Amino acid sequence: MADEEHVVARESDIDDGERLIVDIKGRDVAIFNIDGEYHAYINWCAHQSGPCCEGRRTGTTDASFDRETLEQTLTYSREGEILNCPWHGWEYDIKTGECLSRSGVRLPSFPVQVDEGKIIVSF
Amino acid sequence: MTEQIERPRIIEDETMVDADVHLSISDADLIPYLDEPYKSRMKHSRLGASPRDGWDRSVSGKIEEDTAGVQSPQAIKSALCDEFHVDYPIINTFGLMSRNPEVEWSVALMRAHNDLLLDQFLDVYDEFKGLITLTTQDPAAAAEELDRVGSEKQIVGAYVHNTGPNPPLGDPIYDPIWAAAEDNGLNVAFHGSANGFMYEFPRQNQSLNQFLGVHVLAHPWSHMLTLTSLIVEGVVEKFPGLEFAFLEAGLSWVPYLMFRLNKEYSIRRSEAPLLEKSPEEYIRDQMYFASQPIEEPNEASDLNSIIDVVGADSVLFATDYPHWDFDSPDALDRHLRDAFTPEERTQVLSGNATEFFDLDL
Ligand code: FES
Repeated sequence: MADEEHVVARESDIDDGERLIVDIKGRDVAIFNIDGEYHAYINWCAHQSGPCCEGRRTGTTDASFDRETLEQTLTYSREGEILNCPWHGWEYDIKTGECLSRSGVRLPSFPVQVDEGKIIVSF
Repeated sequence: MTEQIERPRIIEDETMVDADVHLSISDADLIPYLDEPYKSRMKHSRLGASPRDGWDRSVSGKIEEDTAGVQSPQAIKSALCDEFHVDYPIINTFGLMSRNPEVEWSVALMRAHNDLLLDQFLDVYDEFKGLITLTTQDPAAAAEELDRVGSEKQIVGAYVHNTGPNPPLGDPIYDPIWAAAEDNGLNVAFHGSANGFMYEFPRQNQSLNQFLGVHVLAHPWSHMLTLTSLIVEGVVEKFPGLEFAFLEAGLSWVPYLMFRLNKEYSIRRSEAPLLEKSPEEYIRDQMYFASQPIEEPNEASDLNSIIDVVGADSVLFATDYPHWDFDSPDALDRHLRDAFTPEERTQVLSGNATEFFDLDL
């Protein structure tokens, strides 16, 4: 069956850095706005089915290690791009849906397009 | 463990007893339940009952610690029972006073926690059961506390915070506690914590650099110490009517310790002369283990084997609500549905807890 298109909001409804969670055919779907780009994911965490899309948005910490100097350097980046599931903190990259905490895991996403100010999710 | 034949009932239709539900009691809440001089101390002291240890549980704000769901019986009913289909929450206060250095203060806190639990949480719903909190520095006072509140109808066991007590809990100095628990017909549930792990056993845990390491080790190490001590000192033989549960360290630590104890006992039997059977038999006969936090092997089915070794008749379903590493019931149930019979599944979700806490379901 072909996906249906659902008009979920107007562009003005989701400011940059904000999100909106809507019910589409009985499922919670979250639409995130990052720098004017929209990303839609199911609000259903791959870990224990928690409401991951309702979690806090933060950045994340990475580290590199210099074998010569034996120094570890910590960096904090991607502020606002990391979604943290409110149940146990699994981290997801909002731009790709990829889980940072468990490799190979990705949040199911839906195509989003904007047409004349309307945000449309295909599902 | 056998192949599933019947289709399992959906979890909403199962009776579920949650062996580990915590309160989150603020210092101010305790004031009405304390006598002087402790009442005034609590009012004025900046340290309060359980000074936190400085670790950031929230991972720099990534995890939300929300304890609103345990501030009243009504809140527990909607946030845990309705949301996660738990029928019988077994509530403990999460009192940590057993690691405090001041004995009298700890005893006062123990009594205040129990009075608060009975007064505020256990007389609204019949299904809500509680564990009385015991502190271990003054065993006679703990035994008295068992006699004072142990016969209250909604009290179904005792809760001992076992990170910190020194000497370890099998030491004969604690025998009066176990005797009183046995006399009152109350089994004992142990619960470790990362709080307290900072101060005791072994010293090096004070130098771990991340909370991840502290928390991973605090719970199983506390339980390994307690369980080993109970077995080697013969507590299991001294009080054959008493059973013990170990909360919040999951299951995989159990087979290793059980088999290692068997091995050493066979070599050094004369150091544990009270024992009349293998450590494994005592563990299987008198001990239960709560499922949460369920381990996560990369190959999920590996955990089915662990549950099978520990035994479907020894595992207690638990959520640990509302802490940050709590388990949604399905995390355990997907293993039970996968690899165990409906009878075994029912045992884990409610049957074992019914026996251990002597519930009247
Ligand atoms: S359910 Fe999302 S991190 Fe556990």
